[in-house]
Amino acid sequence: MIVQGTFTFAGPRATVWELLQNPDVLVKALPGAKRLVRAGEDRYEGLMQVGVGPVTAAEFAVTVSLRDKVPPERYTMEVDSKGTLGFTRGGARVELEALADAVTLMRYTAELQVGGKIASVGQRLLDQVAKLMTRQALDALNNELRARLAGGGSP
Amino acid sequence: MTHRLIGKPIRRNEDARLLTGRALFVDDVQVEGMLHVAFLRSQHAHARLKDVDLTAARRRPGVVGVYGAADLGDYGRPGPLLVPPPPIAGLVFNPCTQVPLAKDKVRHVGEPIAMVVAESRYVAEDALEDITVDTEPLPAVVDLEAALVSGAPLVHDHLPSNVAAHVVQRKGDYERARAQAHAVITRRFRYDRGASAAIENRAVAARWDSRAEELTVWDTTQAPIPIRNGLARLFGLLETQVRVVAPFVGGGFGPKIMMFYPEEVLVPWAALKLGRPVKWTEDRQENFSATTQERGQLHDAEIAVSGDGRILGVRDVFLHDTGAYDPYGLTVPINSQCTLLGPYDIPSYYSEFTAIFTNKTIVTPVRGAGRQHGVFVIERLLDFAARELGLDRVEIRRRNLLRPEQFPHNHEIIFQDSAPLVYDSGNYEPALDEALRIIDYKGFVRDEQPRLRAAGRHVGIGVVCYVEGTGIGPYEGARVTVEPSGRVRVATGVGTQGQGHFTVFAQIVAEVLGVDVEQVHVITGDTREFHWGTGTFASRGAVVAGSACHAAALAVREKVLELASRHLEAAREDLELAGGRVRVRGAPDSAIPLGELALQANPLRGAVRPGTEPGLEATAYFGPDRGSTANGVHALLVEVDPETALVEIKRYVVVHDCGRVINPMLVDGQIHGGVAHGIGNAFYEQLVYDTGGQLLNASFMDYLLPTATDVPHIETAHRETPSPLNPVGAKGVGEAGAIPTGAAFAQAVEDALADHGVEITEIPLSPNRLFELLAQAEQART
Repeated sequence: MIVQGTFTFAGPRATVWELLQNPDVLVKALPGAKRLVRAGEDRYEGLMQVGVGPVTAAEFAVTVSLRDKVPPERYTMEVDSKGTLGFTRGGARVELEALADAVTLMRYTAELQVGGKIASVGQRLLDQVAKLMTRQALDALNNELRARLAGGGSP
Repeated sequence: MTHRLIGKPIRRNEDARLLTGRALFVDDVQVEGMLHVAFLRSQHAHARLKDVDLTAARRRPGVVGVYGAADLGDYGRPGPLLVPPPPIAGLVFNPCTQVPLAKDKVRHVGEPIAMVVAESRYVAEDALEDITVDTEPLPAVVDLEAALVSGAPLVHDHLPSNVAAHVVQRKGDYERARAQAHAVITRRFRYDRGASAAIENRAVAARWDSRAEELTVWDTTQAPIPIRNGLARLFGLLETQVRVVAPFVGGGFGPKIMMFYPEEVLVPWAALKLGRPVKWTEDRQENFSATTQERGQLHDAEIAVSGDGRILGVRDVFLHDTGAYDPYGLTVPINSQCTLLGPYDIPSYYSEFTAIFTNKTIVTPVRGAGRQHGVFVIERLLDFAARELGLDRVEIRRRNLLRPEQFPHNHEIIFQDSAPLVYDSGNYEPALDEALRIIDYKGFVRDEQPRLRAAGRHVGIGVVCYVEGTGIGPYEGARVTVEPSGRVRVATGVGTQGQGHFTVFAQIVAEVLGVDVEQVHVITGDTREFHWGTGTFASRGAVVAGSACHAAALAVREKVLELASRHLEAAREDLELAGGRVRVRGAPDSAIPLGELALQANPLRGAVRPGTEPGLEATAYFGPDRGSTANGVHALLVEVDPETALVEIKRYVVVHDCGRVINPMLVDGQIHGGVAHGIGNAFYEQLVYDTGGQLLNASFMDYLLPTATDVPHIETAHRETPSPLNPVGAKGVGEAGAIPTGAAFAQAVEDALADHGVEITEIPLSPNRLFELLAQAEQART
């Protein structure tokens, strides 16, 4: 499965970068994320609850490792998640471009292998769910960004 | 000889029980204290198992036992090789059978890793979530050609490659035929098949009775006796200490033959180990990955023809996907290889196949069992040859059909039953003519099609021929008993999955003993009732078990006549059996009911004469030297909407010759079901795997089965060319409907789209795929 797209953040690149590395922010932004903790240098572990169409939501243990970091421009992620209803493995590339002082363009491409029940039964909704979750996460991050820039911190 | 019951559309004896919900299926089995099982299955197509932690699952309340490979000890050995390969010179075969629970490596999604036994299925399923599996995913072997590339990942590490088997069979000298040919047509064909999709999934229940020292196993198997024998061997029990019951089964279609599935050997093992009854019923999700399937073959084939359309020879080199293991040997690809020859006189044939291990569910026979792949290749080659030569496609077939005087016809290659491929009997041209007449081929091609085409409609016709090797050995047996009530009991070892055995066997016995069909009580699939046998597969039930029933009934008839001639003081030649009585011809008052004779044959006083046996009972066996060859013609009319690529089947005609027809209504039913399977294969059903070996459509939301609205009214006609190989003259029919459907469908759709120049070399199609082919053809023209 390939998920790719672009997203425009309403804030400066350095702040976007900082948010993307902050598990406390990410756990709130990622739909279904229940826990996300730093488990080492550039390594995070967490728990997510995800359902796909007819496959009822179930917990996935998630490990994310960040690689090839070039702050605040780009990094890659290795993602490994597994649960009783399936697994995902793969990588994602994220690039940030400063379009203006307070406008940051994100380009992302994720290539994931999906297995288990979420693949075999949820297949036809998988792409849409992945896109939807990505969009929701990015929107939530953008809101967080706006809130911070407005000086209110976390809403 | 005129028949009273054979050949009559007698209503089914079993339907009252089935239709009123009184028939026993395995999941109906309820025994006090029964435990329930769930299996943890691999999510990965190919991975090394580093650690399986069962501790948390074992602690869950309600869980009685949790087992991984390490807990099985010796019982975790690989399962048996079910069908050894036939004796073909130069044959290479690498047997790799599955273990009950994966140990070091998993080789397909759905392979069992652990078994949970609990007080309820709910608890067992919940406990699966307590198990943690640490795996190292490996690259999966999915594509057949990529599997053979040097450096490809290996499904079985101890083998040098993914080759499961390599077989070459030859007849005549193809190269010489090719050199003399007027034209040689070469194509690459893909033929994929799907799940068997029986309405009842697999189920196993087992109980160990420690006082009787008897293990009872209820199993949705098509072959209870081999399963009984195998389980007895595994447990070190006497065969009589194991009773396997295959009660009513909601569809077999092949994947329920004696597979020794992991679940089939583990559920009885748990019942013995725990001393409690245990049951497991497969859910549909499991069925998609854990029950065997059929899948793809890739054929590079060519046909050499003379200028007048005679086949000089055929060459076919193909790859066969056998899945992760090959317990069923080479039955499927050898069927493809042999069935390709069809009803035609093909003087030279070179056929070579490579069976390949992949990280997918195991491939074993599914209704047709590889035959459709072969039929598709030869029938499509003939269509292309006819076009090349400017011949009518029916005419090219007619010119090459075997003639009645050519039977028995030896094709000089070896069939799946290890016997030479010899057709026993057949009369092919009249079957073709009858199909053409029913569908009005001439009228359609001459008038109807041009008229509709002129009106902008895309209508096409397809006509294909096929033969089907059926009724193979080794043997079946039956015991026939006349009870004092006058009712007749018949017991045979085969299992039944809806074919109508309770009626067909009853008809055969009732005919011989002169009783009503309803008076004959048939018992199948219970090893306590009959000890010997093989099973229901290869369209052999009526042929082989039916012939055994016939032989046993004849032996009982002899006993009846012997006893009655003494009782009635009449010569045996003057006696006849009718209406449940033996009577003296011409003396209607001089008669005795069979039940009365049965009582006399089992006296409480006096003496049974030396050299005779008590009771009116006999056991007999029948084993044919080789299989009988059924044949037929399928013809259909379709209309295609080129914009949506939807195909509507307007008419579907089947002319079929399965030798002596025992019950035409049941033969029709078999054909209808088979055609429905075939239509699914042609246009709806496909198991879609991604490059990681994940099955992407493992539910009936996404795996499309044809429904009542997709299956047209099927017009059937029966022809009868009796088989000389059995006393009934029968040939098999269980798979016939499903075999030529893809080939017929492709020809008809191609004909309908003649103005678009679409060439179809693959099945299944789908509206999507057909749309792509239309677009490609469009592009090629512009």
